[in-house]
Order: sequence, then structure tokens, then C-alpha cells
Amino acid sequence: MKIDKTVVSASVLCKIYEIADVNIEALKDVNLKIKKGEFVAISGPSSAGKTTLLNIIGGIDKPSSGKIVVFGRDLDVEDEDFLADFRCSNVGFVFQSYNLVSTLTVAENVAFPMEWARKPDDYIENRVGELLRIVNLEHRTDHFPHQLSGGEQQRVAFARALANDPPLLLVDEPTGNLDIKTGLKIVELLRKLKGSGKTIIVVTHDERIIEIADKKSYLEDGKLVSLDE
Amino acid sequence: MSETSFPINDLLRRKLQTGLTVGSLTLCVALTVYLLLFGENVGFEISQVAEGKLTAGFSMVFSQFLFFIGLLIVVTGAVVVSFMVFVMMSQRVKDVGLMRASGCPNDLIFGYFMTELLIITFVSCSLGVIFGILADYASISLSNFLGFQILQKPINFWLVLLVFVLFFVLSVVFGVKPILDVTKVEPARAISPTYHFGLSKEPGFKVISKSGFTFRIALRSLFRRKSATIRIVLCLATVFTLITVAIAGGIIADQTTKSWVEKAVGRDIILIAHEDMCRQYESLLSKFHEAGESLQFNYTEQEYLVSEDLLNKLNAMSGIHIDTRLVVEAHVKEVPGEIIDPETGTVSSVGDNREGESLIVGVEPEKAVGEWFIEDDFLEENSEWGVVVGDSLARKMFSAPLSQSILFRGRIFYVIGVCLDPINNGNVTYVSLQVLQNAIDVSKPNVVMVRVDSANRAEILEEIETAVEDVDPEFRVFELNEVLDANLSFLGHIWSIIMFLPLLSLIAASLCLIGYVVLAIADQRRELGVLRALGIKPKTVAKIVSEQSFIILLSSFGAGVPIGIILTLLILVPEPIVTGYTVLEIAGWLLVALLVVFASSLYPIVKFARKPILEIMNQP
Repeated sequence: MKIDKTVVSASVLCKIYEIADVNIEALKDVNLKIKKGEFVAISGPSSAGKTTLLNIIGGIDKPSSGKIVVFGRDLDVEDEDFLADFRCSNVGFVFQSYNLVSTLTVAENVAFPMEWARKPDDYIENRVGELLRIVNLEHRTDHFPHQLSGGEQQRVAFARALANDPPLLLVDEPTGNLDIKTGLKIVELLRKLKGSGKTIIVVTHDERIIEIADKKSYLEDGKLVSLDE
Repeated sequence: MSETSFPINDLLRRKLQTGLTVGSLTLCVALTVYLLLFGENVGFEISQVAEGKLTAGFSMVFSQFLFFIGLLIVVTGAVVVSFMVFVMMSQRVKDVGLMRASGCPNDLIFGYFMTELLIITFVSCSLGVIFGILADYASISLSNFLGFQILQKPINFWLVLLVFVLFFVLSVVFGVKPILDVTKVEPARAISPTYHFGLSKEPGFKVISKSGFTFRIALRSLFRRKSATIRIVLCLATVFTLITVAIAGGIIADQTTKSWVEKAVGRDIILIAHEDMCRQYESLLSKFHEAGESLQFNYTEQEYLVSEDLLNKLNAMSGIHIDTRLVVEAHVKEVPGEIIDPETGTVSSVGDNREGESLIVGVEPEKAVGEWFIEDDFLEENSEWGVVVGDSLARKMFSAPLSQSILFRGRIFYVIGVCLDPINNGNVTYVSLQVLQNAIDVSKPNVVMVRVDSANRAEILEEIETAVEDVDPEFRVFELNEVLDANLSFLGHIWSIIMFLPLLSLIAASLCLIGYVVLAIADQRRELGVLRALGIKPKTVAKIVSEQSFIILLSSFGAGVPIGIILTLLILVPEPIVTGYTVLEIAGWLLVALLVVFASSLYPIVKFARKPILEIMNQP
């Protein structure tokens, strides 16, 4: 029996935004298939629709037309409650602008997804320590996000995305706001994660990240082109 | 951009917030204007003795009550305005930081936001004055439509102007501080959460307990936003103090004052007198709720005196209590008294030689059917030199009545007590029946008050009517309940109009909380969006925010209600009558107030929770 290892499947995906009576086509007939454990890098110019594609895959946005299936579930027909549970247990997000909760400390930001998933207290405490060690921030546990540098906030965002050990990691421009040296730490982190069996989709311009990807795609004017063929 | 176009555009773009600020401030000004105009119209201006209607003692209760409500409304107005401006400015903190970072001079930024403040306060104060005057017209018209005669006086322009100026100045003074604070801080600090949240935490990381998870998240979020939370709790606590004084004070004062009137007149009391005397007595009692000129009436006309025959027949009946009285009108004169300073022991004279007309009622103290609310003592049996004066007479003619005397018919009497009595609207002097009879040389009473103690009231009433008819056909048996009820109804009507104030306060509280919720949501918008993206359901987000609002509400309620109750019981109503039912009624209304305010805060929460995640996260 053949086991379908497809994690993400997008077919004829379109997304149109209506802004001030003007229709803007962010995605045009995007077709995509990503298998379990693959590391996919999507690059492209600004406003090409990269973040939109990531949002649709993660279930925080819906396509205007077409089909998006993640882990066998047709996300465009599911309601918000289902999508919330789906994101909580299957998807780890690393946003371009970090999106840490400003009133929570580093440890609390990382702990929150686990607390929400009702994990045991001991497990959460150990896991927070473990994740902060992975991202080299164990000394910043009680600091608030605004007391951290951009690179440190990005690493907290990674730790938070990994908290519930999601099988799918969506990363949006992880080095876009960082200097070369700090960006290198993020690249190293992604390299480590590549071998963990997680499916990773990274939107990036960074050649160092594109290099380590299994699959490379390019998105321009809403159209996705594979760079592997 | 011109100095006026920026503020106007900024205000118009923030429609909900501008609307809330203008609405709250308008309501505060309208309440104050309405309260003062209404107070003037019903004839109990603050710190003035009422003429015409209501005795001075009752007027004092109303005046004190209205004064406190007025004071609280002014304080609430100031706090609400300050809070609303804080809400406005909190949402502009980042803009101010960015404007300063881009090189915009401080005085220009201050000018922009000062112009916004001036526009908002001017519009709100003007609207408030208009609505206050309209509300006053409407309530007086409604009162007259319902049969209560309250004269519509011309609008007191100076009073209205005073309220306008007071609120305008208060709004500007309170509003300008947060603007100055924001424009003074460094741009980098202005956009830091530490500045506008007062962000702080206890050291160490602790996992949130599973029980009451959303509640604990809400609580943590409130503690972290210390300065915003303290401000809203203070603001709402003031509003709840006002609501409590208005509701609890209103209910207690309503029941207490009604009880004073009812006890002074007596329930189910029958008046037996000549038909002219009955009409006169009814008119004297009605002066409490009906303004009118006193007509000349000869109380000691021979035909008005109660015959021995009738008295004997009444005395022979069982199951009734008889209180014979001699009612006359006389010229009275104040006699100065002396007071001793308890600390220095020095004696000083008090009072003057004021004079006027007063109703004089001779009673047999031990048989009186009335039970007055009295300051000091009532007459004792065979009290030859003492009198008790009504509250209006005491205030109109005496400086320190209990240290002074009164002169009539050439005799000086000590004032031994001051009573609250609706008859002749408190312009009354009670004296021993025997003393009065001797003084005016009239040996018979002119009215008989009868209280039926037997359960067989109808039968006894018939028996009395027959006896009266037999002795003198011009005498009548008149039940005082009707005029008593009219007095009570007048009191109830005034209280019911005053109780309209809690409703308006409730609207102010609701607007205030909605303002806070809008602020809280705006502050947490991005974070709540992130939580949604991490897998929290919309209804859970709504639950967290509504729990925050409930915690705030409960804290304010817990602080405001006891202060309101203490103010009511200790200051507003002397010797309050508080029954179990009163407590239940007050608790019920306060609970309704709490729920109404909470329910009104849910609107922006539900509206927010339904928005798509990206709209929440991307909105500036």
C-alpha cells in the first residue's frame, strides 16, 4: 500500500484583496505539493504574495478560490474553531515581525502555546528551559520583548513556534530584519531543525537559507515557479 | 497640514473613540445642568430654604442629597473626562513618538492635540448644556402632565454658564496633563509599553494554573497594564459611588421621608370638625405638595368649636383613640437666646427679633396620634412653658431654635424641640392644649383626630358618622388618608424624578467601561491577534477580554459601593429607615447596574472577536 506523505497540497490557489475598490491579485493559480520532512524555501520580490501563501497554508487566511489541503484537511472549508485547534497542534509560526506578546516575558511567551494546549506544569517548565537553551536565551527568561534585540526576539519567536513540537513549521523572512552575524545564528538554527523530521516552509531572500533547502520556489506577481526543475 | 485640519481629521478618523469621549462628557454636563435647573424649579435650591412647598426639613434632605449628587457628578465628570482623554492619548502615544522622531517640534504636537481637546470639550459642553435644558423642560412638562404643579421658571442663564465654564475648564485642566506628559517623554520611551502600560512583573517564571485558565490570563494582563488598570478602576469606582448614592440614597431617603410624613399625620386617621374647618385643615396639610396663598380663616369662630356633647359621645365609644386639638393662627415673635461656648465658657447671644404668622396647634401630648421626627424633645404632659416648632418655622425665624424662645399672646415659651411636619408646610408651633386654651381664652377644641384601633373599622366609622350627624349636622367626618397619600405621592414623585439620575449615571458608567474596553482591545489588538494565530479560538479571546472587563468592573464596584453606602447612611439621611426589603431592593438595583454596565462592554468585545486574524494583526 502506498502511503501519501503529502503534508501541503495547493491547487489553482488564488487570493484577491479588495483595497479601496481596487482588486489586487496576491496569488494566481498557485499549485504546490510539499512532502513530510521537506525543507522548502520560497523566495521572490516584495509584495509577490509570499506571506499570503504562508498565511493560507497556516490557516490564518483563506483563498479566494482554489484548494488548500494540509495534513489531509481541506482548510478553505473549515470553520474558525477547527482552524484554531489545527494551528495549535500542527503549525508553528515564526512571523516576520516576531509578534511576541509585549506584556509577557520571554519564558511566558514560549510557555503560552503549551499552557494553552493544557500540557503538565513540569513538562512546560522543562520544555521552556530546553527551548531557550536551544536558541541560546536561557539568561533572558524574565525579560520583556522590548528589552531584547531584534535577533533575540526572532529566536524567542522560534522557541515559541517549536513549543508544541508541531510537525509543520512556517517561517516568514526570519533574517529579513537582522544583521549578517545575527542572521547566521538563525540559519544555524534552521539547519539544526532540518534534520528533525519537521516539514519546514521558509519565505526568504537569504541565500544561506535557500542553499540548505530541499526544494526552492520563486514567487513573482502571485505566480509560483519551481527552481528545482 | 494646517494646525486645525490635522486635529479635525484625526478626530473624524477615530469615530468610535471621539463619539465615546463626546458622549461621556456631554452626559456629565447635561446631568449637572439638568440637576441644578430641576432643583431650582421644584423649589429647593441648594442651601436655600424652600418657600411654598415642602417643609424646610424635607427641603434640606433633598438639597443635601442633590448637593452630594451634584458634587459627585462634577467629580465623576472630571474623572471620566480625565480618563477619556487618557484613552485618547494612549492611542496617540505611538503617533506622538513618531511625530517627534520625524522632527516635528514639541509645541506643534502639543498644539495639535490641545486643539483636539478644545474641540472635544467645547462641543461636549455645548451639547451637554442643550440636553440638560431639554431634559429639565421635559421632566417639568411630564410632572405637570401627571398632575403635579411644578412651575417652569425661566432658565437661569448664569447658572448654566457657570456649569459650562466649570466643565470646560476642568476638562482642559485634566485633559492637558496626559498631553503634556506624552509630549515631554523621549520618542523611544513614548512607544515603549513600559511607558503607557506601567509594565512590571514579579520575578521568576511560573506556569499558569489550569483551573480558571482564561481568568488568570485576563488577570495577568491587567496587572501588567498597571497604570491603565488603576485609572479605569478609579474612574469606575467614582461612577459606582455616584450610582450607589443615587440608588441607595434615593431609596432610603424616599422611604425615610415618606415615613416621617406618614408618622406625623398618622395613617387611617379620621378628622372630625366643622366642614369649613375640615376644608381648612385639608388645605393646611396640602400645602406640603401644593403651593398656594393662605386665606384668612377665623379658627375660633364659635360654630367651629367641638361641643361637649360630641366629645362625650366619642369618649363613650370603644375601640377608638381620641386626640383633641385646638388649631389657631397667631402672630409669633422670635426671642433671642444665649449659648455657652463649651470650651471657653463665654456666653453669647443668639437670634434676633424676627416675627411672622404661625399655625399654633394645642395638643394633649400623651394623646397625640402623630409621631413626629423630632430634633430634641416633644411636649410632655402639663408642659406649661415649652413648645415644639415645625422645621420651616425653625429655619425661617430662628438662628438656634433649641437655644431660643418664642413669644405669642404675650407669653414667652421655650423651644424644646423641632419637628418635621407637613401641616402648614412646617410653619407650625405645637403647644399644650390647656396652655393654648388659657392663652386665647377658648375652652373647647376645634378639631378631633380619631384613630380606630378596632378591627371593625367600617362599623365604628358608621357609628362615629351617626354621632356627629346627631350632634351637629355641619360637622364632618373626614379621612386624612387622601391628603396624606397626595403628600406621599408628591414625595415619591420627586424621588422618582431624582432616581432618574442613576439611569443617566449608568449610561455614563457604561460609556466609561466601553471606553476602557476599546482602549484595552486597541492596546492588545496585535497580541490578541497573535494568540488567535497560535490557536486560540475567537470565543476564548472574547472570554479573556470580557473577564478583564468583569475584573475591572468588580474591583470598581467593590470600591465604589461601600463609599456610596457610607456617604448615604452617615451624611445624607439622618436616622435612615433601612428594612430588610430596602436592603434587597438596593442590592437588586445595584446588581442590575453592574450587569447593565458589563453587558454594554461586551459589544466591542464581540465585535472584535469576530474579526479575521489578519485584520486584527495588521490594523495600525
